[in-house]
Amino acid sequence: MATFATVDLVKYLCTCEKKFPICRLYLCKHCLKLRCIDCVQHEVDTPYCPNCLEIMPAQEAKLKKNRCSNCFDCPVCGHTLMTRASGHISPNPEDPNKSVTKKTYYLACGFCRWNTRDINMLDQTVATGNWPMLENPHVKRINNLLENYKLMAQVEKADRERKKYVKRRSHLYLQDKFNLSPSVMKRKGLSSFSSLSLKEGDKTIEDLEPSVPVESFDPLPNDYYTQPAALEKTTKLVHRLSVPEFQPEDVSKLHPINKHLIMKKSLRCRECEHNLSKSDFNPCSIKFKIQLTALHWVPEVRIMTPSTFTYNKETLVTLTMSNPSVFNTTVTLSQIENETDVDYCTAKVELPKKELVLASRDEPSMHVYEDSSQAHEFKDDPKLIVFRKGNKIGFVVKVTPVVPQGDVKICFLLKHEFRNTTVAALQSESKEPEIKWLEHKVYLCLGTI
Amino acid sequence: MELLDEFYNSSQYIETASGNKVSRQSVLCGSQNIVINGKTIVMTGCVIRGDLANVRIGRHCVIGQNAVIRPAFKKFSKGVAFFPLSIGDHVLIEEDSVINAAQVGSFVHIGKNCVIGRRSVLKDCCAIADNTVLPPETIVPPFALFSGSPGKMVQDLPDCTQDLMTDITVSYYQHFKPHGKGK
Repeated sequence: MATFATVDLVKYLCTCEKKFPICRLYLCKHCLKLRCIDCVQHEVDTPYCPNCLEIMPAQEAKLKKNRCSNCFDCPVCGHTLMTRASGHISPNPEDPNKSVTKKTYYLACGFCRWNTRDINMLDQTVATGNWPMLENPHVKRINNLLENYKLMAQVEKADRERKKYVKRRSHLYLQDKFNLSPSVMKRKGLSSFSSLSLKEGDKTIEDLEPSVPVESFDPLPNDYYTQPAALEKTTKLVHRLSVPEFQPEDVSKLHPINKHLIMKKSLRCRECEHNLSKSDFNPCSIKFKIQLTALHWVPEVRIMTPSTFTYNKETLVTLTMSNPSVFNTTVTLSQIENETDVDYCTAKVELPKKELVLASRDEPSMHVYEDSSQAHEFKDDPKLIVFRKGNKIGFVVKVTPVVPQGDVKICFLLKHEFRNTTVAALQSESKEPEIKWLEHKVYLCLGTI
Repeated sequence: MELLDEFYNSSQYIETASGNKVSRQSVLCGSQNIVINGKTIVMTGCVIRGDLANVRIGRHCVIGQNAVIRPAFKKFSKGVAFFPLSIGDHVLIEEDSVINAAQVGSFVHIGKNCVIGRRSVLKDCCAIADNTVLPPETIVPPFALFSGSPGKMVQDLPDCTQDLMTDITVSYYQHFKPHGKGK
């Protein structure tokens, strides 16, 4: 739905003061606060190739520069290359009168028809692997620099620990600055204590020869002005930037690009460090071990139908609210006092003054569609509650735009009951989960005048 | 935004016992090879080529107007072979798209005017933006949004894509109503 219906019309305010649609938010069950993608800690779980969907261990991925060794992208259009087989007839070495067909493989793009024969790359005898790699001419210099930075990081860390003897967790993240993750440190026997005894003579920082600045360029060759430009043989900027280490200028120098890995990540609350989202290990799986998306815990507000607005005239707008919880939930809506953000509030809104009671979500009966009359059960005011269907209600708000033109935007404070079922289950089985009240600011864009 | 009601002429659609709503103006070739599991809507002008290979479509899918679903073939040294095509549950395919995939997972959204190339594999919980061309043999990993020509991964989908897609396909079915019945 994130791509089908417009989810951006209704936004919730995250604890970090940013507005996001509810499907992008998480509710930390320990802090009971909304978290968004920008205010959580991201952790890489497993890097994997988006094409062959094979997991690569994090260490190996680091060595291979986060690229898959078997899958390639087309250097021209960026699509994944296919391996094509072709038969080759060659004379049999044992019996010159007979010939054998030998299968050879090459890579071809199914979209732009580029293939490895275009650049005179030799066909391979095996289908996967073995494709020649280009060697970065600066690899030695880069390794030298990296080695140096690592040593510097160690020295810096030793310095820091000498100053501050208190062990703090935040150190662990700082070390990653120079590719020196905590696990690497441990393996090298550099736990926080052994690093204190790091001897100066162990490995000293070498004197690197400093980079030489380029002062002047050679003038352009005369051909550049006299010969017509061979545009069909020149690469575009995109082609060059996709391989920053080589930046080929000529189409004959294009080379298959190893596919970038993507990763499964887990999210962690920054305050309490509990997991908010942890996906399954398998890249093909869509299951989650831990998933605290706000959609499962916070009532979702949506706009029922688009309405037309006129300046300074009251319009009735129907909104819907659905209850994700398995308990009946009471919700109250109220104005946000002294809302300063004029950009997000261009209309006066009259909200239902009574508490709204949302029926519980009952998964098995969700797909039964008859309109059972729940209205009696909840004693709804028909002027206020337009319909009630399962865990969803439709309610009316009165909106009066206060700007002559532009978008009609309203905001309100949504206060709802929240039963922390996981915490209750941990405490005792028979006890009713404790009711807490949570508040969220909701911003809606209803349409234009 | 909630979905709006969409009305159809009840004489134009056949409703099966399992709740499928199939337009009389759709073309189902080789219908003995087509399995539609229930509560799926096949709209006007759709073509499903069951004569080439088996086509299995899951529950609560929506196949938009003029979409073409066609099992993929592969050339071998001795002629061509067609691969059966399976489409998971809660899949939404919008108008004028051509699906040539080998497999479409569950909770997938394919936009308008898309071309899904031969033997592509769309995993669960992925989405294809409008006007995308996926070249042959593309693999779309879960929680990826592909867009452009050739289709490339441009964005991650939210973690709750499964809930969102279930909600949208179920409510689409609820809002797809016959004329005049007032149901």
